[in-house]
Amino acid sequence: MSTSHPARPVRWDHPSPPPRWRRLDPRTLLVHCGWMAAPLGSLALTALATGGRISARGWITLAVIAASFAVVTTLGLIRWARTEFRVSLDGGADAAGHATVRPDPAGGAAPGQYAATLDIRSGLFNRRLRSIPLHRIRTVDLTASPLHRLLGVTVLRAGTAGSGEGGGALSLDALAAPEAARLRAELLARAGSAAADGDPVLARVDWRWLRYAPLTFWVVGGVFAAAGSVYRVLDGIGIEPWKLGIVREAFAEFGTSALWVTVPVALLAVLALGSVGALALYVENWWNYRLEWTDGRTLQVRRGLFTTRSVAIERARLRGVLLREPLMLRAGGGALVRAVAGGLGNREENRKRSGLLPPAPRAEALRVAAGALRTPLPAASASLAPHPRAALRRRRMRGMLCVVLPGTALLAGLGAALTPVLLHCAWVFAVVATPLVLWLARDAYRSLGHGLQGGFLVARSGTFSRDTLVLQRSAIAAWTFTDSPFTRRSGLVTLTAAVAAGEDGYRIRDLAAGEAAGFAAAAGPGILAEFLVPAGQSPVASVDSRTFPGSSGGTQQG
Amino acid sequence: MSEPEAEPHAALVLRPPRHRVDPRARRWWAAQALLTLSGPMLLTALVMAVLSVLFFPGALPWLGPLLLVVLVVPGLGYLVVMPRWRYAVHAWELGERAVYAAGGWFWQKRRIAPLSRVQTVDTVRGPLQRRYGLATVTVTTASTAGDIKIAGLSDADAEELSRRIGEAAQQVPGDAV
Repeated sequence: MSTSHPARPVRWDHPSPPPRWRRLDPRTLLVHCGWMAAPLGSLALTALATGGRISARGWITLAVIAASFAVVTTLGLIRWARTEFRVSLDGGADAAGHATVRPDPAGGAAPGQYAATLDIRSGLFNRRLRSIPLHRIRTVDLTASPLHRLLGVTVLRAGTAGSGEGGGALSLDALAAPEAARLRAELLARAGSAAADGDPVLARVDWRWLRYAPLTFWVVGGVFAAAGSVYRVLDGIGIEPWKLGIVREAFAEFGTSALWVTVPVALLAVLALGSVGALALYVENWWNYRLEWTDGRTLQVRRGLFTTRSVAIERARLRGVLLREPLMLRAGGGALVRAVAGGLGNREENRKRSGLLPPAPRAEALRVAAGALRTPLPAASASLAPHPRAALRRRRMRGMLCVVLPGTALLAGLGAALTPVLLHCAWVFAVVATPLVLWLARDAYRSLGHGLQGGFLVARSGTFSRDTLVLQRSAIAAWTFTDSPFTRRSGLVTLTAAVAAGEDGYRIRDLAAGEAAGFAAAAGPGILAEFLVPAGQSPVASVDSRTFPGSSGGTQQG
Repeated sequence: MSEPEAEPHAALVLRPPRHRVDPRARRWWAAQALLTLSGPMLLTALVMAVLSVLFFPGALPWLGPLLLVVLVVPGLGYLVVMPRWRYAVHAWELGERAVYAAGGWFWQKRRIAPLSRVQTVDTVRGPLQRRYGLATVTVTTASTAGDIKIAGLSDADAEELSRRIGEAAQQVPGDAV
């Protein structure tokens, strides 16, 4: 635990000056006016399109904008004037009703023993003081939208443990960028910094990875989504695209042209557009990407071109990693890495903030995953135990019942009722879809695997996105066994590992029923040992409990 | 504990929890079925049959069997089968180091959470449950996928159980995270 770089000067190292209440940056007020850009812009576009004449609807919009501006600015001003924060030694803890512990004067204070708090007080009439002990803060992010960056400010969000009570995240919107960085260092430095062993930087962006970008984005769908939003904007400013001459001519010509040429060309154009979009998105998201250990305990991801994001994850909160290989990316030999960490917020926020590595070569992904967990990951796929053949039959059956059968039946039914062309479509669909479904089922089955490697549980599944979960065994908080009459008959069971991180529950699908309990017991030692019996022995039947069974609990032995 | 394989334990299976829930839970589940699914289905069938008899007697030959197959048989089947099936599945046990509960009927779930991870123990009595003198004990952990719910306990058992889980959780060292 020696420190190789000089420890940061921390505010509470100098106990004499009482911490001062600080305000948010006044530029925040300008940020709040950012919403006006869209309506004003569309109004200007309309004015341009109509040659400077603004309709009655336009004037009303303008008046509404002006009124909203006045209201928003006033509210913003009040909020700015009445919101203050500080990092205090004694904390406003007494006011907030928390019992906090003073640091141990002997100097051996364990991390998390500091009484320092982050206090925020706000409100015009009802003054509200929120006080969070620094040891409960798990993640500190800096996020800046393009507007924030233009004004040189950034939003600081502190995530605490237990997103349920206590509000989860607490944000300061917005601080001057250098001050935000300083405050984050203060918040995260509470336990002192331990030296990171080896090179603290795990990964930097490598623009050769751009070749993976078109393999991830749902390329075709992205184009349609973009077209939809363009249509909405045009509609919003009163232009109906269907009435524009160019669009109508284009459609008329498309109809009369040789379809066997124009349809593939149009498809190619959509694919090219989608790829360009995917590349742009990749660049926007991962510009300046850098994954590093800022100190021995904090893993930090920084990225973003217009919107910069910076997520810091405390090591103790990092429970594992998820290696994702979406179908196309897998075909291209790529993978991406996500963190399984607590305190990143709800499901949606977790999805946005947990990214550790963009789509990159698989070897790089494995290296980063190992670096984040600080454990060598032996070629993760090699030693995974396969699942029983029944799992393959189940996947085939499901594919046939859910895709091939309904599709064929629907086409055949419509064909019988309407036109014989659809009858031909039906058998063509059946002939094409069956091998595809069988191939996907086989791939899904081959993806299945589970095993234990050192202190980690490794489980892999999925075909559209093959996900390999590497989870700390000590993080498993509960085990769930799920089955139905169908799976019981084929001797399968699905295990769910509950963890207080990431998506909370991680499933290991379709294990052999006879092995599942043994695997779960070996993975999470001590959780279910007392409920296991040898396989041959007839299981103990449940008994009625009309009276409370006093003898069986054994609660006397701690 | 770093063997790569779990095979040494392969011979072990998970046994069901030791204690069944209160027998009155069957009536509670039946009442629930009647209120949510079976009741409305049977009522719909009855109303349609009566309307058909009164106004479209000609439709009865095909409507009768249709109602029977689509509404009456599934409704009655659910009402009769679900509570018994559930009663056979639902069970619980408080072990030395963990809480163990089984639930569900068609899709069955068995969950084990160690006492060291227990955060809170809640006892809930719904209006319908109170009529039958039953209660539901919910044991929460830091993960939403780790919460254990034991439904259909008698009032006294629920109270005793939540007290014992609370005590046991305090004795077992753990950080509840």
